[in-house]
Amino acid sequence: MGSGFQTLEEVIGDESFPEVDLTLRRGRHIGRDDGSLYEFLVDAQSLLEIFYRRYGCELVQRSDGFFYLLPTGDRLGRRQLSAGEMLVGQTLALLYLDPTTLQHAGVVSREDVLQRLSGLLGAERLFFALNPRKQRYIEHTAGETIRSQLAEVLRRLTELGFIDLFEESRIRLRPALMRFADPVRGLQDSQSALEQLIDRGELVVDNYGSEDEENAKNDEGSDL
Amino acid sequence: MKALTDPPDGSNATSAQVDPSRVIASLSRDGVSLELKTIDLCFLAGLYLRADKAALASFEEEVLVDLFGQVCDIVEPTAENPRKRATHAIQRLREQRMLARVDGAGVIHAGEYALTRLAAAVVEYFLADEALTRESLTLLTGTLRAQLVAILDVAKKATDERAWREGVIGPLRVTVGDLVAGIERRQRGLDAQQEEVQSEIAQLLVADWFHAVNRCQELLDTTTVTLRELNEVLLRDTHHLVESLQHIQALANTAQYFEAEEVAQRVIEHIDRIADWGGARQHAWSEYYRRVHRYLRDVVRLDPDRALSQRLLDQLTAWPSRPFYMLVTQVPSIRLLRQLELKVERPLVARVRVDREANPQWVEPEDKIADLDALTRAAVEGGARTLSAVLGQVLAGLPVSEHYLAVGRIANVLVKITQVSSAKERLWEVLGELEVEEWDIGTNKEKF
Repeated sequence: MGSGFQTLEEVIGDESFPEVDLTLRRGRHIGRDDGSLYEFLVDAQSLLEIFYRRYGCELVQRSDGFFYLLPTGDRLGRRQLSAGEMLVGQTLALLYLDPTTLQHAGVVSREDVLQRLSGLLGAERLFFALNPRKQRYIEHTAGETIRSQLAEVLRRLTELGFIDLFEESRIRLRPALMRFADPVRGLQDSQSALEQLIDRGELVVDNYGSEDEENAKNDEGSDL
Repeated sequence: MKALTDPPDGSNATSAQVDPSRVIASLSRDGVSLELKTIDLCFLAGLYLRADKAALASFEEEVLVDLFGQVCDIVEPTAENPRKRATHAIQRLREQRMLARVDGAGVIHAGEYALTRLAAAVVEYFLADEALTRESLTLLTGTLRAQLVAILDVAKKATDERAWREGVIGPLRVTVGDLVAGIERRQRGLDAQQEEVQSEIAQLLVADWFHAVNRCQELLDTTTVTLRELNEVLLRDTHHLVESLQHIQALANTAQYFEAEEVAQRVIEHIDRIADWGGARQHAWSEYYRRVHRYLRDVVRLDPDRALSQRLLDQLTAWPSRPFYMLVTQVPSIRLLRQLELKVERPLVARVRVDREANPQWVEPEDKIADLDALTRAAVEGGARTLSAVLGQVLAGLPVSEHYLAVGRIANVLVKITQVSSAKERLWEVLGELEVEEWDIGTNKEKF
């Protein structure tokens, strides 16, 4: 690769660096759709890999055309995605793989996502997955609760660069969604693939400290 | 100024001159609607094709019934009583302004019918392949250029209103307008064709997945080449067209024929829109092309058996019982500490407690009106003969803030007890901060 940068000083001195650095540290995936930011990362990749390693992070480039920062140590903060984010993320990845989505250039609506989620999990299961601290399923308010939780999850997935939200309810699917399919992408069985991903620090199996806990605390007052 | 206000017969009523609200209101008032069944559309298409093939301008009723029967044999072969159905279909189409009776014979004998412009447009939409191609666009822009050169020649030589109207405005509105509309119509056709290509690519992948890759690639490349060529033609030719139109506009402006200038401007705007279309569609298509290309490369070619979707689906349905979570970096927002502030002791909001149950106190009575009355009477009895003299004596004992109020009351007392009069040319006297109209005080009413 013909890198445009010779030294780390040049990389840090580039006007794109602050934005790219902050974006990566916030957990966002930077893809080809991000234009100049992606090009900057391609040019500065070899130097930035060393740079971020000192922070206990790995700058990962995927063949699907995106970069992200993988936390391998404790120097930078990290968080695990919530159950709702994982479920919605996997559903969006399914839609990304669906050729009918391609007809609309990878754009789907919130309703498409909701329909697919309900179809796969059922309304009640979906309700409890998105609201882990809720004790009771109340049918006449469940729909509204699911919608509001879905909107919040989509907002967080947008911040992480998995999707783009526009025109209120339209969602553009981005290649970074393929991370949700990582355990089943290889030829080996999914269990060993999962273990490898856990070893690499991409995934965890314990649900502690996720945003569900935070959300649940906020929701406690509204539990019926 | 020689403004040409009346458009010539047959000229297009330009949309710019029509008030959309009025048009919509009149359509709503007339209850305009269209309801065409498949059999109706097929019947119209049959009529259109027959007219085209046999160069017919109209059809006798018997021919219509016969043709309806033939259409019925194809579309609904089991249908009964086709003659009666034909009568109803003709009636339906007449009510919807698709067929017009052209013989004018009423009920005397069987009628003669022609397809209306609406019917022809509907059928053409379904039948005609009017997508823009390099050939059709080159032909249309070439004709347009030739027309504009001819109009420009006329404009250079035109000396009177008739020459401007017949040689410039008319052709710009009708011939050039129709050619431009023709390009726009074909652009819409190409838009529809692109949508079909996108749908076809999706269907091919759904049906054949890996085996559809080459066909999808061909479809992508064909449309890409078409769009690129069209854009090249548009970029090259629209420049010349706009140049000619601007020349015509300048001539019209010099000759003070503002309507011609306005019509040329409208055509320029249409041509700009056509050029913009080319750029916008090419941009949108290149986005789509990139996405499909990536999809074919990263998804289809890497998963020829289409197993990934199924495996992901299995993973998703099993996830609630075997959950795992993705890790991402998260740098918390910088914590901003507040400025250190010394604690400020604020005084308590309080007032002195009073005994609200205390007995009322005796105070001196106060009756300013009674006092004023007495003082005024005393001043009159003391010999004051003008209002200003009375006021001077009475107001001297009052605070300045009450002077204005007191003057009115003193005047009121004077009117009651004396005869007052004023000169024809009224005099005004200044008393401190006030200015009063001077009165002469006559006899005291109370004494006489």
